[in-house]
Amino acid sequence: MTKKIYVFIGNYGSGKTELSLNIAMQSAGVCKTVLVDLDIINPYFRSSERRDMLEGMGVKLISPNFAMTNVDVPSLPPEVHSVFTGAYETVVFDVGGDAAGAVALGQYKRYFDNVPKTNLEVLFVINPRRPLSETPEMALDLLENIKSKSRLDITGLVNNSNLSMETSADDLLDGFEMVKSVSNKTMIPVSYTAGRQDVLNEFLKIAEEKGLDRNYIGKPFPIRTYMHRDWDSFLAHGI
Amino acid sequence: MAKKLMKGCEAIAEAAIRAGCKFFFGYPITPQNDIPEHMAARLPQIGGCFLQAESEVAAINMVYGAAGAGARVMTSSSSCGISLKMEGITFIAGAELPCVIVNMMRGGPGLGSIQASQGDYFQATKGGGHGDYHMIVLAPASVQEASDIMQRAFDLADIYRTPVMLLADGIIGQMMEPVEFHEQESKRELPEKLWATTGWTPDSCRKRAVVNSLYITNEELDTLNQRLQSRYREIQKNEVTVEEYNTENAEFILCAYGTIARICKSAITLLAGEGVKAGLIRPITLWPFPSDTVKKAAEQESVKALLTVEISSGQMLEDVRLAVNGRKETAFLGRPGSYLPSAEEIAQTVLRMRRMHS
Repeated sequence: MTKKIYVFIGNYGSGKTELSLNIAMQSAGVCKTVLVDLDIINPYFRSSERRDMLEGMGVKLISPNFAMTNVDVPSLPPEVHSVFTGAYETVVFDVGGDAAGAVALGQYKRYFDNVPKTNLEVLFVINPRRPLSETPEMALDLLENIKSKSRLDITGLVNNSNLSMETSADDLLDGFEMVKSVSNKTMIPVSYTAGRQDVLNEFLKIAEEKGLDRNYIGKPFPIRTYMHRDWDSFLAHGI
Repeated sequence: MAKKLMKGCEAIAEAAIRAGCKFFFGYPITPQNDIPEHMAARLPQIGGCFLQAESEVAAINMVYGAAGAGARVMTSSSSCGISLKMEGITFIAGAELPCVIVNMMRGGPGLGSIQASQGDYFQATKGGGHGDYHMIVLAPASVQEASDIMQRAFDLADIYRTPVMLLADGIIGQMMEPVEFHEQESKRELPEKLWATTGWTPDSCRKRAVVNSLYITNEELDTLNQRLQSRYREIQKNEVTVEEYNTENAEFILCAYGTIARICKSAITLLAGEGVKAGLIRPITLWPFPSDTVKKAAEQESVKALLTVEISSGQMLEDVRLAVNGRKETAFLGRPGSYLPSAEEIAQTVLRMRRMHS
């Protein structure tokens, strides 16, 4: 059995939770999957809100001790350690935003160090539509900061440029330029370009026409929207 | 300008900076921490000052000081933190100083919870601090509106020399929506701040500016209060803003502000599917309250009853009842924080009312 560990880090609001849920849901039913909600930043709108959905699909969810309660204490359960040694085949870490969120990872360094490099993907998610991460310089600054706080080496970049439900191929094209620039400066490869299927297809078509370098696109990662991102699904799910 | 994907809190902070706010003093509390966080990152970039005070009380008194010196200044907090600031707020009102205060409401009373609530309506609109004063209270219902309203908040504060509160439930602060920052087209004419304590010298061609809220003689205090009251009447006359949705010839009128008003709109669509015509009155200024709009809507022959919906236990309801003044039934549906009434629940309530009126 190979264990594959995905760690999503990045700017606050870059889409880490959505990507984490997508990896977990894709892997559910195929192999034994666990999602670790390591977000010590967000009071609402977090992966733990989708516990029923995840558990319904057989995904184990590990949440901070007081997630979804009225207590705002960022305390992590000892259970997190079990994902490194237990029988899980897919492990997904949904980490809180910015360097402040990445701090939660630091304490697991000695466990991550024992994971073979080929089995670990530490993915830095980039969304240039978010404030304070609009330029490659800002993204680089954040990347260095998060890297030092998380005590992990970043293995790949993810272009997840989006405006929530209003996302278009133009957003991913801007994201392409951004990850290209960050990749060239850091020598970190672009692992994925993520987006809703229709938007992603449109982007790939334009990329093909324009002859954009596929090295900066990486693997296309079509996603479904599990967290509510628009008002209608907000009403359907509540907070 | 291209759209950004922003949290309500971030959009409010950014919009405040674009409105000329250069000073922010605050103390952390969920669910509004993204405001000070954004201010801490951005204000130094524009030559402003962000300071995390040692407490809410300290923060509001720093606002008092900066406002007295004529600065565009802001603070933010949530419910219990706002209670702590109340002494400072009444002092600022008494000293006739402009500032903006954001309250991203969480559950109460006491420490309450970190979930969204509208439980501070009374506190915001009926005083909160002591003395005969009012604040202008603005209530956005989306991230876009929250950002659009900031320029107005600072302008109103300057024009009327009063604290202005932006009152929103935690959902507005925490939810992310695409936002566009508009260039302000109709920036209002602002009075010169001759009262500001900017440094007096013997050759200054003006009176020494003194910031004060203590009036020793009856006459002086009476003069201040008369001046404040006349200003409040002017605000009530000129500054009411309200959104009316589908109210003309409606059978039922919903009254709601903030997040819950958006849920009411979904309920109105559900009701239309049932053949019931319902409309919404959404106050954007909670003080001054749009009493005339509510009164006129209620007076329509078509209207059978009004339903006020809140994430609290019947606070704005009192203002709706004062405006309707017994002309029509004024029902209430609310949850005291933590939970939200759903669109279905609101629609079902209206359908029940309809059965009783048929």
